[in-house]
Amino acid sequence: EMTCVSVSFSWASAEFDLAQIRLIVYQDCERRGRQVLFDSKAIHKLDASELTADETKTPPNRSGACHIGSQASEKDKPPTYQYTRPASDVNMLGEMMFGSVSMSYKGSTLKIHHIRSPPQLMVSKVFSTRFGSSTSGSTNTLQDSFESVSQTFPNTLLNVFQNVVKCEGVMTLFFFFLAHSNPVDMPSRGHSEDGDSGIARSASLSSLLATPLPSPGSSFSSGCASSYQRRWHRSQATSLQHGPMPRWNTEEMFNLSDESCNSNPAMIRRKKIAISIIISLPEREEENHNFQEFFFSHFPLFESHMNKLKTAIERAMIVCRRIAESSQRVQVYLCRVMEALGEFRMTVWNLYMAPRISEPVWLSMISQSTERNLLCQRFLKEMSLLMDHGAKSQFLSALLTAVLTHHLAWVPTVMPSSLPPIKTACQKPASQTVDLLAKSHPYNPLWAQLVLLKNVSFTLHRVYYCIILFVVCCLGDLYGALGSPVRVCRTVVVGRRRELVQRVLYILSYFIRCSDLQEHVQPQGQRENLDNPVNPYPLKPAACVIEKALNPESVPSTSVELNNDTLVTDTKSTNPSSSPESSTVRPECTEMGQECFGEDSDSVGGGLEHILANQSPLLHRVQFHIGSPRETENEGQAGGLSGAGCGRGLDRKSHQRLLTDIRRNESSDSALGDSDDEETSPRELYMATEQKEYELPLPSYQAESRASVNHFGRSLLGGYCPQYMPDFALHGISSDLSLKQCLMSDLEHTVLHPALDEPVAEALCIVADTDRLSVQVVTSQRRVCEGGRLGRDVMVSNLVHTLITSVLQLYALNIASDFCVMHLEDQLQELYFKSRSLAEYLIGQTRVHVKELGLALGIESSDIPLLAAVASTHSPYVAQILL
Amino acid sequence: MNALVALCHFCELHGPRTLFCTEAVHPPSPSPPQPGPAIPGDRDREADREGEGLTMRANSSATQGADMCEGCRSLPASHPGFVSVDGETGIRYLSHQHPRQPQLFSVVRQACVRSLSCEVCPGREGPIFFGDEQHGFVFSHTFFIKDSLARGFQRWYSIVVVAMDRIYLINSWPFLLRHLRLTIQSLQNTALKVFDSEQCVCPQRAVRMNSAFSPAVFPHQRSGNAARSLTSLTQHPNLWASLHSSFSWLLKACGSRLTEKLLEGAPTEDTLVLIERQTEQEEEMSGWDGAEGGVSNPQPSQSESVQAKDFQFDDGRQEDILGPKFKSLRHLRQVLGASDFRQLAWHVLMGNQVIWRGADPGLIQSAFNVLKALLPVGCVRAVPYSPHYEEAYRCNFLGLSPDVPIPAHVSSSGPTLLNKMEVALSNENLSVEVVSLCLLCLKEEWMNKVKVLFKFSKVDGRGKEDTQKVLALLGATGPGEEDNVRLLKFWMTGLSKLYKSHLMTAVRVGERTLSQ
Repeated sequence: EMTCVSVSFSWASAEFDLAQIRLIVYQDCERRGRQVLFDSKAIHKLDASELTADETKTPPNRSGACHIGSQASEKDKPPTYQYTRPASDVNMLGEMMFGSVSMSYKGSTLKIHHIRSPPQLMVSKVFSTRFGSSTSGSTNTLQDSFESVSQTFPNTLLNVFQNVVKCEGVMTLFFFFLAHSNPVDMPSRGHSEDGDSGIARSASLSSLLATPLPSPGSSFSSGCASSYQRRWHRSQATSLQHGPMPRWNTEEMFNLSDESCNSNPAMIRRKKIAISIIISLPEREEENHNFQEFFFSHFPLFESHMNKLKTAIERAMIVCRRIAESSQRVQVYLCRVMEALGEFRMTVWNLYMAPRISEPVWLSMISQSTERNLLCQRFLKEMSLLMDHGAKSQFLSALLTAVLTHHLAWVPTVMPSSLPPIKTACQKPASQTVDLLAKSHPYNPLWAQLVLLKNVSFTLHRVYYCIILFVVCCLGDLYGALGSPVRVCRTVVVGRRRELVQRVLYILSYFIRCSDLQEHVQPQGQRENLDNPVNPYPLKPAACVIEKALNPESVPSTSVELNNDTLVTDTKSTNPSSSPESSTVRPECTEMGQECFGEDSDSVGGGLEHILANQSPLLHRVQFHIGSPRETENEGQAGGLSGAGCGRGLDRKSHQRLLTDIRRNESSDSALGDSDDEETSPRELYMATEQKEYELPLPSYQAESRASVNHFGRSLLGGYCPQYMPDFALHGISSDLSLKQCLMSDLEHTVLHPALDEPVAEALCIVADTDRLSVQVVTSQRRVCEGGRLGRDVMVSNLVHTLITSVLQLYALNIASDFCVMHLEDQLQELYFKSRSLAEYLIGQTRVHVKELGLALGIESSDIPLLAAVASTHSPYVAQILL
Repeated sequence: MNALVALCHFCELHGPRTLFCTEAVHPPSPSPPQPGPAIPGDRDREADREGEGLTMRANSSATQGADMCEGCRSLPASHPGFVSVDGETGIRYLSHQHPRQPQLFSVVRQACVRSLSCEVCPGREGPIFFGDEQHGFVFSHTFFIKDSLARGFQRWYSIVVVAMDRIYLINSWPFLLRHLRLTIQSLQNTALKVFDSEQCVCPQRAVRMNSAFSPAVFPHQRSGNAARSLTSLTQHPNLWASLHSSFSWLLKACGSRLTEKLLEGAPTEDTLVLIERQTEQEEEMSGWDGAEGGVSNPQPSQSESVQAKDFQFDDGRQEDILGPKFKSLRHLRQVLGASDFRQLAWHVLMGNQVIWRGADPGLIQSAFNVLKALLPVGCVRAVPYSPHYEEAYRCNFLGLSPDVPIPAHVSSSGPTLLNKMEVALSNENLSVEVVSLCLLCLKEEWMNKVKVLFKFSKVDGRGKEDTQKVLALLGATGPGEEDNVRLLKFWMTGLSKLYKSHLMTAVRVGERTLSQ
């Protein structure tokens, strides 16, 4: 048996130390200024048995497992922590987190800072705080502890933090703010703020409704319609043109209200809490670069984990409030936050270090057309090996049924295209509509990838969801309660046999699909050079040499020349040359020039000053020679770069005269006092733009495109990992121990803090066990499962089973493997067509007659979950009917 | 990129100011949202702006009236600004001192104030990201520009990139940082040269050391100098044109930095055949045009008719036929009766010629239109109404008037597909739409079988024994096997040329790689 994954890819180019991640919780209170509420750098574990108990000092090695539940074994005896003097940089960091001037904005603010030395990245989220109206009981405890501490340290009120630190170096009390949190002030504020965001939400809703959406049925003729819509929607939702519009609930607060007493929540807006993660960057340039690439491309995941951390800190603060004894209270607080931080560190470490599938089949197939045959061969071989292995239990059929049902991104890839294929029938046509969309309405492809990988029912639903919501408003809850329809799914393959798990992962990497991402980079060598197209107008002291058109017959146009050989060659092809003998004149420029020329031809006779004073340089043959005068002269001599050659011979004197003229012009402008005041009303500004702007050519964008090897799609397809990883769309682990521990809370977290940047209704996990040959689906919606099992067994879809069988039989008959893969695609397309039949059938059906479906449509009851899920991607009402 | 770029300056007299702003204006959507105050939430933002922190208020009070200096200005008020147009996408990159879109004015103002007055950057020079859902998200890079006349011999600037898509902006951090640094460095270098030459002419430090310090005179002494514009600091008369180009490029490049390769399913054989036919027709037409000066037969453009395809209902022509007509397969079946219909459908599926005689061409046409849906497009050759008999190889649907004689040589259980189709048709519980989708499924299913058989028998040239195995795995054996095979063979003639030639070349390529 051959092993699938010989070399696995990983982000990390070097060791990553857990202590590189630091957590600071800071409070900014109007009355008492800033206080550090937590700094992991200042906390040390006190342990009787071990002297160097700081767990951050013993990072796991690269190959070894890094266990999140490390605290679990010590649960009987929680560790004791000591708080030492905070590091010297906390004041500066506090300044960075909150800024020098506080903002009145109530929602959460996100900040990222880059600190040069020592190189660090800091991600901060600043929240306003919300306190529950305290019940009598909790107030008493708080009051008690407050008083007892006041007796011990009379000065603490003024400067809690320092005093506490001085006291034996042990941080005993630093959350006095809790005692002061009685929500006396501003009771009505909260309501008006709710109202605000309500308006904002309806604003985005109405803007969605205003946008034209193809009718649900029209997606049939064009296969890419749903992909297109989803992306178009994203582009619109994040467009600047409509001004800022919060897209979904932005009212993210730091919640300190006890669940038991949040009947009347009020808010203190003058208190903010910042949570900061500070990551020390590797010293070496390349590693530093690698980590930053990783960090910024995976940011949504970081943020999602930060939100989880925030929730844990909230809980810690609320829980410890209930404890009367102050030192014990601190210990509980520190323990809880340290545990959450430990989990955060592990997650980041794992995400960074974990091995990825080195050659995901689908992504490799669509990016490397030359090796497609070999890929197909290998894929089919692996698949038939696995089929034989789990034949009795229909393991592969069950697994693929689950994967095709829940990872639905394959559906748009088989929806028939209305466009003829570009090259061959086998090569699937790249979606031209989407391509055009990306150019004209940019959305974030990284985002789209994340959605494709994780999404179950497409975001397309969101569009309809809004419409339905609208209908609900109008028709009075006709449809009843509506859950948000976005569901997300991940797949975990469990098994002790590494090569078997890797085989399963390899096969699934064909069915769990996302689009390929291409990065366009500036060719090496050009990047750092200022005089390249990146910076078409090098910012050097330059002369603006403007010459009147010598030949009145010549077409006036704007031409820009640059004092760089390579560049001029380049510009020549794209820009019109002003020389009469030149044959390449860009049509639109000519048109523009003629238009203006006709109106204002008199000014052609003017001198330099006249032209400069004139407000429309387009009327003339204008050449911008950019570069210092000396350089310009040199260029001219070396030159022959342009046919016109005008302006080359200008001596320095006239050059300087020109500069003075320009300056004189400018100063005379401001002397006239017609300054546009910064505070001019936007409307006036808007009205003032009747004038046509000077047109300049858009600098050419020359970039080599390369498949972005490290992109999100590949990065979320994990290999055989030492332990369960919550972020991966697909990965393998050796035992389901850690899975059982944290899967449910992870799924809940996914629903609460989706990395998708949009609401998620349900999170699912497919667990495939290669030892037991079982496939189960775990959902965030059903907690309890019979017999201590994780989820429910998957019913094998007959269609899927037939599909795999027929493909593998063809393969066994020695039919070319690329043809077999094409046949597989054809059969997946059949599934799509069947789902259309089902969707149509379900319209107006009150009862589903399974027998009828079977006879007429060839659909059996085992196929219905799969086909319904597929149908929900193109016909959202199906989800409604079947739920 | 859904973003804008702005150059901001912290004026010693007037505080943070927006100097120059490049925004990307996208081609209008089919129904653009209402501009200006009609945008919901606009008023809220204004209100919010009023209530914004200390800085905002301090600034607005400080800048009442025309209290503005050259340092706070980029383009003269009369300057119309710059524009660059991306021909490919229609996006226009506009540069002015302030954004032209009113709703963006306060967004940029907010970003400017925050980048220069509120946010703290260690060392005061460098990148920061900040923002929230309400005010948008900002990537800001602050930097100093040398000025021999300024306090501390330098002035403070920032370039901000503002967007609503937080994730995209953060994803773009490394890219933005790399390229903004280039722009900033060239600005700084340019200003440094000017600074050095000015210091040569008149060393300011000495001037300041020697001049007697007088608190009363000091602000007035310097106020004139505080107003130096960036143009004068860099001695770059095309500064703003250059920045416009830089910023436009940045917006374009950052937007197209990553592109997504999105695949969709291969077109169905029906689509391919339709396209091929259209191309052939167009070629013929153009040939005719050349020869006879143009016979204008209005043909729908390729894309149009492909878009409008709906194979099971063929086209809208049916609506034009007057008089009685067949509306659907079910209708036809009801009229003919189950057994006659089955006979008819059987022959259609088998590729036998169907001759329909009658006085009403419209009726015949409608019957053919309905029957066509049973077959792959590539298998349909119809002559709706002919004055004489046409041979079977020329057409499998032939309409004839009652008096046209039929030649003597024309005169002769069922396939699985037919049985299934009958089940669907006879079930009154299924709507016409469901039946047609059902038919589509069956056709695609059998067309996929046809592909396998074609590959197997025609391309690879396998023997009878192997072919039998393939038929078995395709589910074509068993009862009705003979008919199934007949159907498959007939349908093979309906495969597109493209598909066939692809399989042929793939084999050749495969052979070549094997022999290597």
